[in-house]
Amino acid sequence: MSVRRHPFSATVALLVILFLWAPLVIVALNSVNQDVLLATWKGATTHWYHQAFDNEDVRAGLRQTVTVAAATTVLSLVLAVTAALWWRRASPRMRRLFDGLTYLRIMLPEVVFAVALFLLFSRLEFPLGTTAIVIGHTVWNSAYATLIVQARVSTLDPALEDAAADLGANPWRTFRRVTIPGLLPGIAAAALLAFTFSFDDVVTSFYLTGAGTSTLPVVILSMIRFRITPEINAIGMMVMLFTVTMFAVGFIAVTKLGRGARRSLALPEVRGE
Amino acid sequence: MLAFFAVPLGMVIVYSFATISLVTFDIGFGWTLSNYRQISDPLYLHTLVRSVVLSVSTTIGCLLLGFPLAYFISRQPPRWQRLMLVLVIVPFWTSFIVRTYAIVNLLQNNGPLNDALNGLGLVHGTLGLLYTPQSIAIGIVYSYLPLMVLPIYVSLERIDPALLDAASDLGANGRRAFWRVVLPLARPGVVVGCIIVGIPAMGEYVIPEILGGGKTLMLGNVITDQYLSVGDIPFGSAIAVVLMLVMAVALLVSRRAGALEPG
Repeated sequence: MSVRRHPFSATVALLVILFLWAPLVIVALNSVNQDVLLATWKGATTHWYHQAFDNEDVRAGLRQTVTVAAATTVLSLVLAVTAALWWRRASPRMRRLFDGLTYLRIMLPEVVFAVALFLLFSRLEFPLGTTAIVIGHTVWNSAYATLIVQARVSTLDPALEDAAADLGANPWRTFRRVTIPGLLPGIAAAALLAFTFSFDDVVTSFYLTGAGTSTLPVVILSMIRFRITPEINAIGMMVMLFTVTMFAVGFIAVTKLGRGARRSLALPEVRGE
Repeated sequence: MLAFFAVPLGMVIVYSFATISLVTFDIGFGWTLSNYRQISDPLYLHTLVRSVVLSVSTTIGCLLLGFPLAYFISRQPPRWQRLMLVLVIVPFWTSFIVRTYAIVNLLQNNGPLNDALNGLGLVHGTLGLLYTPQSIAIGIVYSYLPLMVLPIYVSLERIDPALLDAASDLGANGRRAFWRVVLPLARPGVVVGCIIVGIPAMGEYVIPEILGGGKTLMLGNVITDQYLSVGDIPFGSAIAVVLMLVMAVALLVSRRAGALEPG
């Protein structure tokens, strides 16, 4: 098809992309702006970055966020892989029930989850804090991870596992050498998503933090509510650079793994990839 | 998973029928509807209506901005398509809270938008846009827009160009081809986009917290207030249950809309 001219949609597209990027550019500029009031441009400074690095709340928050995100990722993956493998052999009825539960965990508002878990933990007198936040994040992150791994499982040829068994591999060996490599692109994509979502989460962490250290997004939220300082721009820039870098690295890894796995297992090319 | 999912939700529902003494914080379990009656108080009813209105209007806003963008992307050569998709996705992958905060920067009275509009002579003085329902709407549209663009793009991208050629061979002009061929085929993407924008938007907490400046609230904020500040857990639970019900209705309506698609 010839590339037709679309003056209207081109204009809207350009404006929308501008709209998506403008606020981020402002944050970037303000993070190095000398003006304390951020009203005008008064020259560049790295002062806010130093201030952000020296802020103990921010440092502790970052440590907490990374710990929570890592634990959430591992837990979500274990649950997702187990669930997806079970799902493959489950009856249609159980499958429907399970899928319903998965979608429910994605569609229900996060506030409701957070409230519900808050209630459960306070009722059980389970202490709020890191473990509580990890459980909270895992409840909904494992649903996304399950969907992704499930999608990958359905492209996996059961004949490969049968072949491995016929060639004398025990179940564990088959799992480790055939099933896991086949699922690897899905697992990597799910890990990327779970880590980013957990790293970014505000609501669940906010409810389940308790009196101790809160995660970085919660620290930022309370800083914004307290007063807006240029320091926040610097923290924001660092967080943005971190997530974008992670996304880029993860995305490249997932793409590479996808190609590699297809080649080594001779899986059929999936249409549209 | 069931223990951390179904059980807590069940507790919220049970609590929503309970009573609490705000002096001693003793909770009396029973099956009372008083918490639900309290929602019909104009104050809370207002918040409920506001949440629904904001969710619907931001979904429409995302659709109006997102469809032309998705359409434009899908009509570009593959290289450009990929580049533009990255331009749409990258802001979405940056921290949610930082993005919301970025909107504060943009809308401030001495911010760039204000300056630009003043410069163009469209506005004189300050806009006073920040901390209003409009600023919440802008924030939600900004944050959720990529969720609308991507599913629409996917459904547009799949349209076989031969269909458009066939339409024009049969005498349809560009506009007619768009309304009769492109739009019906894009419908599944539009429905998915509306679901994943509209439903989470209704339960939004962070955006109204930051962009509403504590003045304009949505249901998510009222729930949090009741739980963490006031301590009226039964009432907070009742609002949470209402929020779930509103969403379930919205979901059913949109699924019905999706099921009606031709072919």
